[in-house]
Amino acid sequence: MDNKSNAPSFSAKTKMSEIITSSSLLSIIERLNIKLGFGEASINEICHRNNLSTELFLKICKVYAVESFVPDIENLTREDIPEIIGYLQRTHKYWTESFFPNLHSNIHTMLESCDGTSKRMLNKFYDDYDEEIKKHLDYEENTVFPYILSLSDSEQKNANSYRIKDFEENHSNIEEKLQDLKNIVIKYLPESASQQSRINVLNEIFKIEDDLNKHSIIENKILIPLVSKFE
Amino acid sequence: MSAKHKVTIIEPSEIVSAGLKQLVEYRGNFHVAKIFKSLQDYSENLNGNPDIILINPSVLNTGDINDPRNILTTKDNVTIVAICYLAYNEETMRNYDGSIGMFCTQEQIEKKLQSALKTSSDKEQDDNSNELSARECEILTAVAKGKTNKEIADEFNLSIHTVISHRKNISHKLGINSIAGLTIYAVMNKLLDVEDF
Repeated sequence: MDNKSNAPSFSAKTKMSEIITSSSLLSIIERLNIKLGFGEASINEICHRNNLSTELFLKICKVYAVESFVPDIENLTREDIPEIIGYLQRTHKYWTESFFPNLHSNIHTMLESCDGTSKRMLNKFYDDYDEEIKKHLDYEENTVFPYILSLSDSEQKNANSYRIKDFEENHSNIEEKLQDLKNIVIKYLPESASQQSRINVLNEIFKIEDDLNKHSIIENKILIPLVSKFE
Repeated sequence: MSAKHKVTIIEPSEIVSAGLKQLVEYRGNFHVAKIFKSLQDYSENLNGNPDIILINPSVLNTGDINDPRNILTTKDNVTIVAICYLAYNEETMRNYDGSIGMFCTQEQIEKKLQSALKTSSDKEQDDNSNELSARECEILTAVAKGKTNKEIADEFNLSIHTVISHRKNISHKLGINSIAGLTIYAVMNKLLDVEDF
């Protein structure tokens, strides 16, 4: 990969404690079910202890740590697939159970002092968006992931007419409305919406934008190519 | 005196184009550099870099009549003026920066060309500004009402291509892409009554 020059200086031998430098890297640890309390253990040791491929762990970390890093599937194996899916599922869970309800309540606070029409329309806009996100995640959880996991079962493999390339086609862009919401809050919301409540909402949007972006890099550049290879 | 404005004429009748050339050049502000009899003639030859194109809308195919700019030039700063034997409807004329009729006097032609130049430079400023133009507001309102590109094209007598390009510009200026988001913008900016939907 030509992005290698940009890669931060961590490798399998780096101390695990040293790479926890931002909240997004911390969230990887959380989503991969790795317990804190690393002591002086290296990334390699911690991954072994957790039955995780070090290669996969390093690739995921680099996606979050290095701006515009594009991972490849070199050195990844079939055995990494369930682990990637587990990671994506735990991310979904965090979004639906914690992040989006929190954003929703921040938006609610922000709109409290707006006039009836703006309030009603923006609430509806957000509810529709919420619905869209849910549909998108449900589709992955109920169609895509079960299909991928069934691939290891050779009998099911041929019976299934679904292919990973259908996923790519269905992979709708859920970031568009988020952009719209962000611009509406920055540019057009009436002054009656308090500055602090807007800033809270915007900070949340920046956070999720980044997370969604990294999430789709992992899906598009790691998961899909890896699955196509074994399909 | 500033340099002469370069004019290209696209007009099937030689009598008309020769007459126009004479009248247009009379005061010395304009110079007719090229005359073409048909659109084919125009597109097959090097057409120079005119400041103004005088064109008889009848040389355009009916489908393109509302969209002379896309057919004639890739540049935004060319002024396009219709040569009208007959009256065209207002919607068609909106796509031109001005028009000249068969009974215009030399003074009128001079004035019309000057004001067409001004119209098109205003439009250009309009395009470069970050604010929505009047036309963009109209189209945005139609989008917010849920109209399709085809319906909007029919309503405003535009090609679908033009509607799409307007929509791109609108989204680019506002930073809003979804129809739902555009609707919120339209209502917040009073382009649309909530009762409208």
